[in-house]
Amino acid sequence: MSQLGQVVGILRKLNDEYQMSTPKKLKLIDAYLVYVLLTGIIQFVYCLLVGTFPFNSFLSGFISTVGSFILAASLRIQLNKANQSTFNVSPERAFADFVFAHVILHLVVMNFIG
Amino acid sequence: MTSTSLMRIIIFILPIFSWYITSTIASNLNIVNLNGLKAQFQTAIKSFSDVASLHYTLGGVKELGVQLPDSHCNDIKKLVDKSNVESIYHATEAAKTLVNCKLPAEDYRSTLTSVLQSDESKTADIYYAVCSSVNLGLNIDESNIEKRLNTLAKTDDSILSQAYGLLTGAQLSQPIAKYYADTINDLVQQADEIDGRILQYEGGIGTTAFIVNSFYEVAEKAGVSIKTDPKQLIKFATYFSSKRHVATLRSAYYLTKVFKHLCDNKNPVPIVVSRISPSAISPQNPSVLVSITNLLGQPVGEMSVVAESAKRKEDGVVVISKQKLISKASDFSVYELPFYDTKIPRGFYTIHLTLTARNEGKLIGLTDNIIDVKVTSEGTIENAELIVADRDHGAQSKTYKLTYPNAQSDKLELDYHQKLTVKFQIKDKQSDEFMPVQQAFLRFTNKQSKKEIIYLAEATDNGNSQYKVEVDLTTNANDFRYQSDKYELVLILGDSLLQNAYEWILNNNVHLTFHEDSLPDKDYKNLYLPRQEIIHQFREDEKRPPNIVAFVFSTLALLPLLILLILWLKLGFNLSGLPLGLSPLGFHISHGAAFALMFFYWKYLDMFQTIRYLALISIPLFLFGHRVLSTLAARREKKA
Repeated sequence: MSQLGQVVGILRKLNDEYQMSTPKKLKLIDAYLVYVLLTGIIQFVYCLLVGTFPFNSFLSGFISTVGSFILAASLRIQLNKANQSTFNVSPERAFADFVFAHVILHLVVMNFIG
Repeated sequence: MTSTSLMRIIIFILPIFSWYITSTIASNLNIVNLNGLKAQFQTAIKSFSDVASLHYTLGGVKELGVQLPDSHCNDIKKLVDKSNVESIYHATEAAKTLVNCKLPAEDYRSTLTSVLQSDESKTADIYYAVCSSVNLGLNIDESNIEKRLNTLAKTDDSILSQAYGLLTGAQLSQPIAKYYADTINDLVQQADEIDGRILQYEGGIGTTAFIVNSFYEVAEKAGVSIKTDPKQLIKFATYFSSKRHVATLRSAYYLTKVFKHLCDNKNPVPIVVSRISPSAISPQNPSVLVSITNLLGQPVGEMSVVAESAKRKEDGVVVISKQKLISKASDFSVYELPFYDTKIPRGFYTIHLTLTARNEGKLIGLTDNIIDVKVTSEGTIENAELIVADRDHGAQSKTYKLTYPNAQSDKLELDYHQKLTVKFQIKDKQSDEFMPVQQAFLRFTNKQSKKEIIYLAEATDNGNSQYKVEVDLTTNANDFRYQSDKYELVLILGDSLLQNAYEWILNNNVHLTFHEDSLPDKDYKNLYLPRQEIIHQFREDEKRPPNIVAFVFSTLALLPLLILLILWLKLGFNLSGLPLGLSPLGFHISHGAAFALMFFYWKYLDMFQTIRYLALISIPLFLFGHRVLSTLAARREKKA
């Protein structure tokens, strides 16, 4: 019981810390990440329920969510001021990369969706 | 080895070799099927279609010793064609066989003279003309004909033409006939030898008989004997006697004539040696009976017949040597050789016979005669056992000893975890040894459906020939088609050297029980009936979930978008910092266009078109994007 209480306490602390220290921009991106994750999970559940036909459509949808998640996550990393030392890229450049990569991702997804 | 010495060796060896070849091939002469020939002529007598058939039938029947009535003379006169020399020839020859049939010679004189004078005539035509003239009693100019034949011989040297030349010579004076008789040996050399046993001429049996007959006719007219190697004559005789039936009347007629010549005591007569007792020697049939006749089955006088050797085919063991055969018939046509002896082991034997004629005669084919016999023996089945064992625990087994011919009295029940083994040996009564047999089978007969399932019994390779056959009711179950039923068990044994064969019912009531359900018997008749028609089935579409489920999940997938908007609003998402102007507008429009293109790609376009449009859109996208971002970057710098 105490273990559970400990875990809950840690989580609450984590949440408070997060709410306070994260800049708004990053929080927006986190919300977007959650959205993409939810979409991916729903697609996966659907596939488990009704089977994999047509497999290519499932794959393209799933890969689209996964790809978007990854690109958004990498954008977040690049925009985080704490990482300024590792990356030497301006936020605008990161955003441009994000858009460019998304165009390619959508091209591939649309090709595969069938 | 130098080439000259090699040549010398070859020259020495080759004749010896060829002598061995020719001398060890036995004469395969058979007695002629006279009845067949007679029947063929008799069917032909019933109706005649042309004068050639008349000639052949009447001539053939006359050779066989039957005289036909003169009424056929009218048939001849009706069918003859006065303008055709061959037709006239057949007519005159046919008329010659009847007692009193006179043909009007004057009607044919003109045709015959024109043929004899024409330069177009072939040797055959000359022969027909000459023979017809002689038959009709017309005069012929012998020297002229001789000249014609000589000219023709230069232009046409085929065998048939030469034969016709011989026949024409036989119709002329004796010196001319003698000249042609001297060429017989050359003609014999031109015959084709097959397998070293048969001599024939191209054209089949009829032509060969015709040519050989011409030899005899011209030799007879010349008053000389046929001076050919007896071996060649035997080869001709082998060829002639090998045909049981001939197709045409011509072949039948000339064959009959040749056989009569070959059985005429004036000429060399081939001897036919054949076995007339059954081929198996046993205590009930202890001797070999041999018949010695000519080709027509007539006796040839007293002979001394000696069995030079009797060798077993398997190992060449000689059991008889230089034993004289005893004459059994008063006309000296049947001879006996006592063969059976308990000391002679079973096997296939080849007896070589040599004949010596008592009287001076022209008999040929006296040496190298072979008779084949087999010595059989009685066998007994010994040490027969039937073993029922468990498949897995081989040690648990029940052995039943069986004695021929008793069957097992009680029923035998076997099921799928047992196996049945039958063991036995066969002993040769005479030699007291165990012997292998050619057929050893174990047969199961389904008592209801009468289906038979047969297994082969195999023997060990060592001397005692122990036979064993094993039937496992699980591995062999498919042979029975898993039909659990009552079966009859029979052991079948047989061998060509065994006097008695065995069909021993081991058990009449064997219950077999199999593990699987029984399958029906394969209906072998159905294999050849038309099969079921296969209707092409197109690939079925995969099953898809109902539309409702898909719709629900689609809306469910769009739900997170709502959640996202709510979250963003909560976080304070605003468009306050949005720059306004051409570049931002251009950026947003081209960005939107890129994603609109994606939609169109999905619905209408293909990859190449999309790439082109994308390339087009990406130019403004890049330009405007760059401008917007640099504006934003400048704004940020200013703030900081």
